[in-house]
Amino acid sequence: MIHAEPTEMTRLAQGQGFLSLRGLTRRYDHFTAVDDLNLDVAKGELVAFLGPSGCGKTTSLRMIAGLVPASSGHIVVDGRDLTGVAPYKRDMGLVFQSYALFPHMDIARNVAFGLEMRKVPKAEAAQRVKEAIAMVRLTGREHHRPAQLSGGQQQRVALARALVVRPSILLLDEPLSNLDAKLRDEMRTEIRDIQKRLGITAIFVTHDQMEALTICDKVVVMNHGRLEQVGTPHEIYEHPKTAFVAGFVGRINRLPGRASGGVAQVAGITVSAPGFDGPVDVMVRPHRMILSTGPVPADAGLHQLSGTVTRATFAGDILEYEVEAAGTLLKTEASTRGGEALLAPGTPVTLSWRPQDTFVYPAS
Amino acid sequence: MDERPVSPALKIAAGLMFLFLLAPLLVVLPISFSGDDFMAFPPSSWSVKWYGAIFANSVMMNAFWISLALAFVVTVLSLGIGLPAAYALVRLKPPGAEALANLFSAPLLLPTIVLGLALLLVFAPMGLIGSFQGLVAAHLIVTLPYAVRVLSTALANLPLTVEEAAGMLGARPLTVFFRVTLPMMRSGLVSTTALCFLVSFDEVVLSLFMTGPRLQTLPVAMYNHVDQQADPMAAAISVLLVVLTLAVVLVVDRTAGLTRTFVK
Repeated sequence: MIHAEPTEMTRLAQGQGFLSLRGLTRRYDHFTAVDDLNLDVAKGELVAFLGPSGCGKTTSLRMIAGLVPASSGHIVVDGRDLTGVAPYKRDMGLVFQSYALFPHMDIARNVAFGLEMRKVPKAEAAQRVKEAIAMVRLTGREHHRPAQLSGGQQQRVALARALVVRPSILLLDEPLSNLDAKLRDEMRTEIRDIQKRLGITAIFVTHDQMEALTICDKVVVMNHGRLEQVGTPHEIYEHPKTAFVAGFVGRINRLPGRASGGVAQVAGITVSAPGFDGPVDVMVRPHRMILSTGPVPADAGLHQLSGTVTRATFAGDILEYEVEAAGTLLKTEASTRGGEALLAPGTPVTLSWRPQDTFVYPAS
Repeated sequence: MDERPVSPALKIAAGLMFLFLLAPLLVVLPISFSGDDFMAFPPSSWSVKWYGAIFANSVMMNAFWISLALAFVVTVLSLGIGLPAAYALVRLKPPGAEALANLFSAPLLLPTIVLGLALLLVFAPMGLIGSFQGLVAAHLIVTLPYAVRVLSTALANLPLTVEEAAGMLGARPLTVFFRVTLPMMRSGLVSTTALCFLVSFDEVVLSLFMTGPRLQTLPVAMYNHVDQQADPMAAAISVLLVVLTLAVVLVVDRTAGLTRTFVK
């Protein structure tokens, strides 16, 4: 007998994903903020929307929340089409960059607000508020006003307030951007721990690649309202599909070259470039370039470039170099693990790197 | 509030300014305690008889109650009309919201005497002169621009995200308004109330056009009194009005914070 839950069946028919975005688009008078966004998010996943400001990541999030109407396309959650449904009926939790706590209510009442709206019985609500406040480690602050708390504490209240109602999806709009660096690292881990413990599906909007790479299951890189690449942090970093992704996630060196017959000539060396023809950009991450003063064995299978150090910077854990090779300035770095001394500018050096660390894109 | 050192020159300038503003009071206060039967400065003897005379004067007491009722009704109506208007202008932003906002503050630009004359010409054929309704309508013309202004500013200064957060938590738009928007506008509401009440209670020029022999507001009654008799009772009433104004301002300061309310 073939049997499936109706929601399951609809979900499969819609095509995978607990949250599915289908051709989601937002047009304004003079520009398109989000252009034909298609995405599937599995239940329990933490997905980052990563991109520079104005790339459409926040607009996408606000469309999912229902705060910005979609010009076209669909938002489907658990088989239910939510396009056009008012925000207060969407059952989603949203954490804002500015915290957006109710300034006239104490912490307990802030957290209880969503339960009150859902008419959860008083005793149960009180218990859940207590648990939520404990979860974000703010027990004892129940009767403080938001203004009496630090930024980090306010953001934890916002998190508790969004999660206490057990939303279907948790949306986080640059939740760490207003916090200082140290607090940001702590909160990042804390958000990830809580999200995993509750198994909640979450979207995390950020312009910070570190946040996206370190805590998210999947990263959606956006630029100019378009989706550039979706993948695990490892895929995004090691196999960037476009020059934009390679440059935005992590640091990158760019060497202009020319391709024909499956290989590209760049700075006097030949790199593999299957399927390319004409001008190309060859890219290599600075820390994947090995800097050496002596000769590099030719049979090591590494790409090699000779050059001269033009700038040397001591940064404690690493040494940062700028090397001029074949008329291009390339960044690279060396570890100080063995107590290496800084090379003086003018020192002739060889840069070498593995062929698989070479990215080739059509010239921009 | 941040404390910054104030230069002596600024202190002197501020002192002179205060002296200039308070000068009338320095004359009126002694006269109100005069024992003479006519206004003279300085008085030849002292007494509180003119304060007693106010409460014995039925015309003045009637006018006081009318002014109080009028200020109350005008304030309630100003809030009742001003709040939805401000919400529409700031949040719903209909086409031409800017022009509408300017139109609403236009009565403030007209000299009150011109407004009064215009109202007289329009209201007289309608039989509204000397009526309470006529007075309410006239005062609303002056108080509404203040109400819409102050409430619009209060509303525009609210972070929209807080209301969005309430919506995301399941609150319907009307619930958001009453549970989040309105409480956050508290200082704006307090200052609008105080402003409308004081403007209506002190209004003379429009009231002069609108009142009749049977219906007088306190400022009009005072004006008529001074016109006919030069006794120090008017000074005593003035002092009481200053005390009332001071009380309102103090209440605003305690509940909403004066600088935050009026300066912003």
